[in-house]
Amino acid sequence: MVNEEEIIKVAKLMKIDLEDHGEHVGRVKKMLEYFDILDQIDLSSEEITSQEKLLAELRKDEFIPHDKKLIESLKNFREHYVRAPKMN
Amino acid sequence: MNLNTSILQYIEDVKSGSFTVEEFISATIDRIKMVDGNVHAYLSLNDSAINDAKLIDKKISSNEKVGKCYGFPISIKDNICITGTKTTCASKILENFVAPYTATVVNRLNDEDAVITGKTNLDEFAMGLTTEFSAYGATKNPWNIDYVPGGSSGGSAASVAANECLASLGSDTGGSVRNPASFCSVVGLKPTYGLISRYGLISYANSIEQIGPMTKTVKDNAFLLNIIAGQDSNDDTTIDNKNPDYLNEIEKGIEGKKIGIIKEMTTADGLSQEVSTATKESIQDFEGLGASCEEVSLPTIPYTVAAYYTITSTEAGSNLARYDNIRYGYEMESEGYEYNSYISKSRTKFGPEVTRRIILGGFVPSAGHAGKYFLKALKVKSKLISEINTAFEKYDYLIAPTAPVQPFRFGEKIDDPVTLMLLDYNTVTANLTGKPAISVPYSVINGLPIGMQIIANSLEEKSLFQAAYALETKTTIPEVPL
Repeated sequence: MVNEEEIIKVAKLMKIDLEDHGEHVGRVKKMLEYFDILDQIDLSSEEITSQEKLLAELRKDEFIPHDKKLIESLKNFREHYVRAPKMN
Repeated sequence: MNLNTSILQYIEDVKSGSFTVEEFISATIDRIKMVDGNVHAYLSLNDSAINDAKLIDKKISSNEKVGKCYGFPISIKDNICITGTKTTCASKILENFVAPYTATVVNRLNDEDAVITGKTNLDEFAMGLTTEFSAYGATKNPWNIDYVPGGSSGGSAASVAANECLASLGSDTGGSVRNPASFCSVVGLKPTYGLISRYGLISYANSIEQIGPMTKTVKDNAFLLNIIAGQDSNDDTTIDNKNPDYLNEIEKGIEGKKIGIIKEMTTADGLSQEVSTATKESIQDFEGLGASCEEVSLPTIPYTVAAYYTITSTEAGSNLARYDNIRYGYEMESEGYEYNSYISKSRTKFGPEVTRRIILGGFVPSAGHAGKYFLKALKVKSKLISEINTAFEKYDYLIAPTAPVQPFRFGEKIDDPVTLMLLDYNTVTANLTGKPAISVPYSVINGLPIGMQIIANSLEEKSLFQAAYALETKTTIPEVPL
């Protein structure tokens, strides 16, 4: 059973301010409780499969010039840098 | 002018000189101005649509080469980028975001002279099934504006159903094209994963989402797929479809084909009586068309909704980390904030559903919980793929109603997250397995539409359209009462 403290801890890590979003914790808990259905299926013989692609099949990792300097469209762009809030 | 026409009929009419592109686009914009106050399908309109139409008329009159679309009007879901236009994802956090590049699908439409009418409403970041989670207000169902249009591509579906364009592009992560197509009585395709480029589609759950065409007819859908499908060097997940003509042989029929009726989707508790009855009638229609139908079981289906939400929330949690108000965001003074608290505060602009998915997306793959949720979800996906591949060794198509219920009133289900999630019950299988699936308008009961879903094997869209067209010939859908 998931407890609300665990959800609040994860929300903080995901940078969700629960002062404004506290009402969501109960609803997230309800969704997680529904996910418990995954405990009822036998997956013991299942492997996780994934699609594979060779590096050679991928687009070349090369610089493609863009007609605009996108960084200049950032609202906190200051001549040579982007201003961000200070870190403690 | 009759705006309730198909793309193919429109092209014939423009070619024969029955009307000009400008006349049709002008009439379409007049229609939008007349009905969209009630429907709210659009979030923004293309101010240059008339000019675009005039340029195409000029090409036609001067015998220049004209693209295959001949200027038919098409709307685009507002999570698909077009250079220089706002792309909001129906979120306050992207309220003023202007896309710096154009999605491949839009480039392909422009190259073939389609006219973009505008950007359509959706559930914020495509997370939802009703458009009630749009930050700019819900779209109304043109069949009855007291009812939801489905979602998340509800604006796209409503714009087509309300004759505010001839087609639209939506995106489908767990049914977001097919569900609103069913609720608004239009044709909606979720193609094979990789068939259509996602370059320029704002990411939600990359491993399973696809852009899909929404149209009034099955033939129009095939026509549109011909234009937008195919490999794209900007999206390495696209696959070579060998460029088949999806319209060619679309009337071939389904005589002798084998159809599996998915047991878990046609006997579930949540299936309404009306949808159940319509499903039985559609089976009779398929048999009348010469196909043989029998029940098939995919036992993993009851676990797919939980697996789907686990996987998509995980990917959403990662994809939405970029909205930190430094790289993307809105005006908010940073003075007085510490780095993390600034980001947290700025992210309060996310709406309720997106916020919940981000929390879920952090929880289910986290250390201590991944084994219970995320890794199991991936195994459910693998098991489901094995089951459906086995089914396609025997059957040409699998069928089920697109949604277990008809459209419902606004507010009716929004307070219960599990009820909302279960609306995806019949659609997520195609996304988790990467198979193509189409919703075909089947009937209208008590004034509200019901769509039937046909699923085919990977890259079998040509065959899928043949079945969808065959079913369409058996239906008589009344005109939308708007």
